[in-house]
Amino acid sequence: MKDRLPQLLIPLALLGGLSWLSSAMVEADEFSARQLEQFEKQIRPLLLEQCAKCHGRDKQEGGLSLSTRESLLKGGDSGPALVPGKPAESLLIKAVDYLDEPKMPPTGKLPPEKIALLRQWIESGAAWPQNSSLGGGEQSPGDFRVTEKQKQWWAFQPIQDPAVPAVRNVDWPRNELDRFILGKLESAGLSPAPAADRIAWLRRVTYDLTGLPPTPEEVDAFVSDRTERAAEAVVERLLNSQAYGQHWARHWLDVVRYADYHDFNPKLRVASCEITEAWRYRDWVVDAFNRDLPFDQFIVHQIAGDRLPSPSGEEIYPDGLIATTFLSNGVWDRGDADKEKIVSDMADDNIAVIGKAFLGLTLECARCHDHKFDPIATEDYYGLAGIFYSSHILKELGTKGGEYNVNRVPLIGPTALAKRAEQEKRLADINAALAEQDRLHRLQELTAGGSPLVPSAVKSEAGAVAMVGDDAAILFSGNLAKDTYLLEAVVPDSIRVRYLRLEALPDAVLPAGGPGRADDGNFVVSRFSASFVPPDGKTESTPIKFVAAQADFEQANFAAKSSLDDDPKDGWAVSPQIGKPHVAVFEIASDTAIPAGSRLIVSIEQRHADKHALGKLRLSVAETLPTSAPPDTPQRRDLIANRDRLQQELSVPVPLAMAVTDGGTPGGLFPGIQDVPIHIRGSYARLGPVVPRRLPQFLAGENQTAIARGSGRPELAAWVASPHNPLTARVIVNRVWHWHFGEGLVRTPSNFGMLSEPPSHPELLDWLTTRFIEDGWSLKKLHQRIVSSATYRQSSRVSQQAFDVDPENKLIGRFAPRRLEAEAIRDTILLANGQLDPACGGPAGDDFTIRRRSLYVQTARWQRDSYANLFDAANPDASTERRVTSTVAPQALLLLNHPWVHEQARHFAERLERDVPQNDAERIGRAYQLLFGRRPNDVELAIAQAVVASGGWHDLAHVLLCSNELIYID
Amino acid sequence: MQDSISTRRQLLLQSGGGFALLALSQLLERDSTVRGAEGSQYARGFPVQHHPPRVKRIIQLFMTGGASPMDTYDYKPELERLHGQMLGPKEKPEGFTSPAGAIMKSPFSFAQHGQSGRWVSSVFPEQAKLVDEMAFLMAMTTKTNVHGPGTYMMNSGFLLPGFPCMGAWISYAMGNLTDDLPTFVVLPDSRGLPYNQKGCFSSGFLPPVHEGIVIDATAKPPIPDLFPSDRFAFASRSADHDGLELLARINQQYAEAHRGDDRLDARIASYELAAKMQLSAPPAFDLSQESELTHSSYGLAQPETADFGRRCLLARRLIERGVRFVQVWSGPQGAVNNWDNHGNIEKELPPMAVSVDRPIAALLRDLKARGLDQDTLVIWSTEFGRTPFAQGSVGRDHNGGSFVTWLWGAGIKPGVAHGQSDDWGYQAVENKTWCYDLHATVLHLLGIDHTQLSVRQDGIDRRLTDVHGHVVKEILA
Repeated sequence: MKDRLPQLLIPLALLGGLSWLSSAMVEADEFSARQLEQFEKQIRPLLLEQCAKCHGRDKQEGGLSLSTRESLLKGGDSGPALVPGKPAESLLIKAVDYLDEPKMPPTGKLPPEKIALLRQWIESGAAWPQNSSLGGGEQSPGDFRVTEKQKQWWAFQPIQDPAVPAVRNVDWPRNELDRFILGKLESAGLSPAPAADRIAWLRRVTYDLTGLPPTPEEVDAFVSDRTERAAEAVVERLLNSQAYGQHWARHWLDVVRYADYHDFNPKLRVASCEITEAWRYRDWVVDAFNRDLPFDQFIVHQIAGDRLPSPSGEEIYPDGLIATTFLSNGVWDRGDADKEKIVSDMADDNIAVIGKAFLGLTLECARCHDHKFDPIATEDYYGLAGIFYSSHILKELGTKGGEYNVNRVPLIGPTALAKRAEQEKRLADINAALAEQDRLHRLQELTAGGSPLVPSAVKSEAGAVAMVGDDAAILFSGNLAKDTYLLEAVVPDSIRVRYLRLEALPDAVLPAGGPGRADDGNFVVSRFSASFVPPDGKTESTPIKFVAAQADFEQANFAAKSSLDDDPKDGWAVSPQIGKPHVAVFEIASDTAIPAGSRLIVSIEQRHADKHALGKLRLSVAETLPTSAPPDTPQRRDLIANRDRLQQELSVPVPLAMAVTDGGTPGGLFPGIQDVPIHIRGSYARLGPVVPRRLPQFLAGENQTAIARGSGRPELAAWVASPHNPLTARVIVNRVWHWHFGEGLVRTPSNFGMLSEPPSHPELLDWLTTRFIEDGWSLKKLHQRIVSSATYRQSSRVSQQAFDVDPENKLIGRFAPRRLEAEAIRDTILLANGQLDPACGGPAGDDFTIRRRSLYVQTARWQRDSYANLFDAANPDASTERRVTSTVAPQALLLLNHPWVHEQARHFAERLERDVPQNDAERIGRAYQLLFGRRPNDVELAIAQAVVASGGWHDLAHVLLCSNELIYID
Repeated sequence: MQDSISTRRQLLLQSGGGFALLALSQLLERDSTVRGAEGSQYARGFPVQHHPPRVKRIIQLFMTGGASPMDTYDYKPELERLHGQMLGPKEKPEGFTSPAGAIMKSPFSFAQHGQSGRWVSSVFPEQAKLVDEMAFLMAMTTKTNVHGPGTYMMNSGFLLPGFPCMGAWISYAMGNLTDDLPTFVVLPDSRGLPYNQKGCFSSGFLPPVHEGIVIDATAKPPIPDLFPSDRFAFASRSADHDGLELLARINQQYAEAHRGDDRLDARIASYELAAKMQLSAPPAFDLSQESELTHSSYGLAQPETADFGRRCLLARRLIERGVRFVQVWSGPQGAVNNWDNHGNIEKELPPMAVSVDRPIAALLRDLKARGLDQDTLVIWSTEFGRTPFAQGSVGRDHNGGSFVTWLWGAGIKPGVAHGQSDDWGYQAVENKTWCYDLHATVLHLLGIDHTQLSVRQDGIDRRLTDVHGHVVKEILA
């Protein structure tokens, strides 16, 4: 199993072997990575823990400081504390041995194994990284120096084009690649494994390139095609299939910590910070693989696609914008109360993912201190950080405790946006015109018929002056305040009163033409009420009950109905329809009869705000209320047709991408394009000197062109994707190899730094990389070169001799069988069932029970117990260079008992019945072909028949879905 | 154990375990070589052992939201004297959600308890009786005043997501004590998950098998897919021997052709484990097997203590059966029902305190009565403390400066307190401890040197304690 084992102690004997060196002469440069690692892991912590308190930067008891190697060599009052190579002469050892005074540490003797560690360390030369102080102190800028060893590290050397080696077995190689592999095997006295059988190779290459099994028809076609070109044709077919991009995109998504959502539950997703448009990036990656976008361009798109011009001359370049989601779909906290921290974590995430994904470097180590192993200074880090602090991922910093807002960019250009704005305006105009037509029609209806009431008395509580005109309209002037009008009139006898109507009328003398007396011409009738006194002279005044109210126009939140209650805050008002006549109609309860000749007393309260009194009004009564549609004129029909068309056109929302653009985080410490200071120990609260935006100095050179304009991402992208960058092309070629063979030529695909394992076949890596660059960074050509090789064609069977010589298969003298990935297991089951939904792209489905390919099942950062996770899918919280393979009981429980699996067994049984209705043996054969690409042998067939006879096809289907042959490929 | 397979077959048949499972148990019966689950990651964990362990299993009680120290275990008479005075920082410190108000005394009375004379406020009357058995870290401190990062830090030692939590590290380093149950179980508050949701229980870059298994204590079955749903019970009951042979044959033929690939055996073994879990898990979760006295001592009958009490009792049953690490959470994330008492300490804290006090005391007494205290460690913890200044007028804001953790059980020096906060309980001043020190101490008790337990991730040797951590020897027996 390929678990990561805990880093065990490096056998001390290894270090002991170095003691012949005249250690005092050893330059710090000369310590091996292993020695330095030993120091970091064991000696530094020990000295820090046991000694630094009294002999450190702050305190030097007895004049002794252990802060640096030099200070140890110099020693204190009792003389040098350290004689490299000579533990017995070193005061340090004498003290910890407790043989003589001073006995150190004074609190108690160290355990013997710790003393042994110190002794071994001194014996082997007292390795200590250059210019490093023990700790607790802060390093001062400029301390950093690149060592000779770092300068010589293989991964930092230019890519070579080595000669193809000669081999003895000249018949075996199918292409040059094979000669590199065979050469090493022959040197080790091994031969390659025999070729896999045709079906095994077909299954291998089909899964490898598409994540799906070959169909029985594809198996038959290949097995019967004995031509020379048969294999080549298969590879071409697979590379040209949509499934290729879907499968290889998933590899890439692992590396770039891709997630579809934060929250698994659609109902709990918070719109502002949810990564709703992440899927566009996934679809772009699928497409990029499928059309074989040159990998250097693939890189540039992801780092700085927003700055790329559109290749087709369009105003904007959607693919470029979408590709930068690479940066915005990152791992940082939501910030809660500490939003500034998100910004520094975002820059760190971006630096880390670019380092790991493209360069194979752990750049992020230099956030708090110079990189302990690789030639990357803290200044290099903040030179890069400035580039990302000058990039725009969040819309703004956001408020403490609140959610953050992801920056979203429209995927249509300024012209299209302007057109859209214009369409929106036209739609608004049309809607307004239609509404006005409706209003006028309504006004006409609501005021039709009936009889005006000529007031017999008008009273204003505020003392306004009322003038009644010939048309029964009353104009108010004079005192103006919150006012209540009381009006009296006699009900005419020609009419049965069912409605009371209040017309608000414009007049040139009123502000803005009225109908109200407020400065803007508005009014608010906060309460409208009435009572009547019948003409019999006996009955008291009776209040009139109103059951409904409507108006030709009602200001938002100021409906006529709200003037029927006592609340002075609301009421009927008409802004912005000022300077026009309006009417409100109040319907009287059906059980209220107002006899002709009654005296009507109407109260109009206007207590909403000062001045908001009616300027001119008329009361009337009516018996009926006509309702009809506005007249259907050609002009109106035109308007409606235009409105519908515009609504249709605007119904598709503006497509958005979580694109990154230039500019910092508005509202934050770094709101624009700027250089940033070193953050001491990585904290934005403790800032050091400012570093100009630039590329890492050792890797990119001392003489860099200054970043003159913008964030600097295009400059960074150009350097990363340069054929002269010794890392980038090697890293992707090695990744592709890793994905084909299960192990890379460098077995740490995301780390080519000093702590990585050097390549097993350095010449092959360089040869492939050179061809890759020559081929225009074409991944498809690289795949072809690899899968058409004899190396790839080897069987997975291993001879005892080969196993003994090369148990880890570092010489690649056989093919390593492997378990299918979570996605492929599920996709295989769906495909075999005939249930796989071929739909491509778009937002991810909610859970694994959908029928689309697993690529389209959501990966959520906050949900780690999904189906995919159970089968070791990548954790989107970090860049994943390789999948682990775990084999645990919950997987068995899922396959045995999950309703989805039972459903699939049923679908599979049904499909088998459809495919082969009659013959049981044939049907069983079909099952084997669909799942395993082969026919059952006689024994298997006999047993399967018996199972079907007793347990049915469902049981047979279920057992086959649980079998090892389904999920392990040769 | 001879009974196991035939009994298992019977049980599986009765429980509708399904044909395939039956097939597998048959297969396993025939193939004695896979006994012991060789190769399965549950069984295989490489016990990392640097020195003899004192502790074999752990229950961690986590108070979500930042339990107030000066209202529980960190008595500060100075706050009474200065009550109402504006002495706090003038500027709003980073991560505070609002400016600091006046100094606020605790609304609760404090008294000394036990031989050790430990001060405990009136909110914890039951735990107060047990202070002589606990060891207190009185000056814990953290890097953040923010819930999400704070909760990550207390669990994984890092402020960011993506790192394995302590339970995952322990599962990775120590492996399991039993094949029948998961190694690391999380029992969240029934009202919801804590801050960071499942990020707190993540295995990070360790294999996913080490991730905390979240178990809803009230769900049936508590472990996902333990049995097929009734809908499919029709399937397979009548299966006979031929079917078993088919699967056996399929897998065996395949394994024979791939000698030396232990993954194939591991997969077969994983099916055996699944079968074992089907038998062992349901009884482990069946609280009806406990006496009435036990139910009442954990407060299962009272609504205020029932949820936490049930999970404490479940925690005991699980570690008793060999689960290595159980985390019991008090409170979900969010504005209510947790220890994030911004608004009103006097009103918001007591219901939380009541909900855990009696169950915790019952758990400790129960563990002791069963002798489990000999190899079990209990940790009471939270992500940070709260301000000695009022927020609003009667609440308290987040404060990473100082907070309290206690440990109980095997390897612990009972009745001690290590570290001290300042007179207000605002900042840790003496013998300050970080999550690194707590984690180093816990690993030490498990027999692990925290500096030696590392995994190389992208070229960095990652540790639970990052580059920090000191074993707090002062609280160890």
